[in-house]
Amino acid sequence: MATTDIVPATDDAKMNMTPMIDITFLLVVFFMLTIDLSSKEFFPVDLPYARMGVDDKPVPGEVKRFVINLTRDGRIIFKGNTFELTSPDAGIQDDNIVALRTALRQIHDSGGGSALLREPDGASKVPVMIHADWGTKWKYVQWVMQACAHPDIKIYKLQFAIKVPKPEDGN
Amino acid sequence: MGIELPEADDTELNMTPMIDIVFQLIIFFLLSLKFKTIDQRIESMLPKDRGLAATPTFPEDFLKVKIKVFRRDMDDKEKAYTLVKIDNDQRTFSLPRGWKGRLKETPERVREYDGKIGAIRMIVAEKMKAHGGKADEVKGEIVAPPPKGGAVPHGDIIQVLDVFLNLGMLDVVFEGAATPLTNRERAARAGSK
Repeated sequence: MATTDIVPATDDAKMNMTPMIDITFLLVVFFMLTIDLSSKEFFPVDLPYARMGVDDKPVPGEVKRFVINLTRDGRIIFKGNTFELTSPDAGIQDDNIVALRTALRQIHDSGGGSALLREPDGASKVPVMIHADWGTKWKYVQWVMQACAHPDIKIYKLQFAIKVPKPEDGN
Repeated sequence: MGIELPEADDTELNMTPMIDIVFQLIIFFLLSLKFKTIDQRIESMLPKDRGLAATPTFPEDFLKVKIKVFRRDMDDKEKAYTLVKIDNDQRTFSLPRGWKGRLKETPERVREYDGKIGAIRMIVAEKMKAHGGKADEVKGEIVAPPPKGGAVPHGDIIQVLDVFLNLGMLDVVFEGAATPLTNRERAARAGSK
């Protein structure tokens, strides 16, 4: 009586890998799709606070924007290039703004042909996001705005990156 | 003569290396997944008809509320503050001295800051009412007079801009800042090189 239950031989027992591999692939695909590589453009800064902003969602049909970062110590970071504005020498500051304009223009015009990126009146369709630290000197922000509106570049669409005060931040 | 073929039943793919790679991929994507820090933005348009060459003054015949911001005691980080004046109103507002940013300040100081901004909003609303009270007919103007106005933190300007937007005044003008060099200075510098 006691010996009739046959225990299956353990030698041959193999895990069925298929469901695990299915799930794992799904996870890989999920992460690949959700990863937002564009967030790499944002240099970490303390954004200014405002309550009247709109949600930062892409507008359908809008051209991909440029992100210009400004740090509190007066550096502009645009597409991996850094432009210092802190020099006490106005001439060097001016040179760096000219360099920013050159970079803006080159990157703008290499992006899929400049004709496609411009309105009939020559104004650019590319929006620029000013992703500036709250402590950036206002004149630096203004210089960036002037560089964008320069007749060589004609970028007029601006966005200021902001944060909304939240109760959990003690506000 | 006969070559014995291995039994076909027993061939199995070795899954281990593939699973290793796939797990590595998952870990890579997990680590590079950065949660978005920006949640909002303020949209704005620069004027198309005005450039660097000419800096026309703001036409006087528009109804406007003008806010002037100044930076005071800017040599001392602990004491520096932003002074806000609205039109020619006698009431001026000093934002907290040595402001270190919302997240680093005590709740009392944050309340103080917000209180000042709230008071500025009240006066701007008063001025707007004096102009007929229609938000879309009154422009806002933000002026940071050089040289010290240029040192006002971006965050304070955005708060002032926010006051205008909050009151429905969507047409806000920034007075242009002086560039590091004037056109004439730039030309002279290029000539001397």
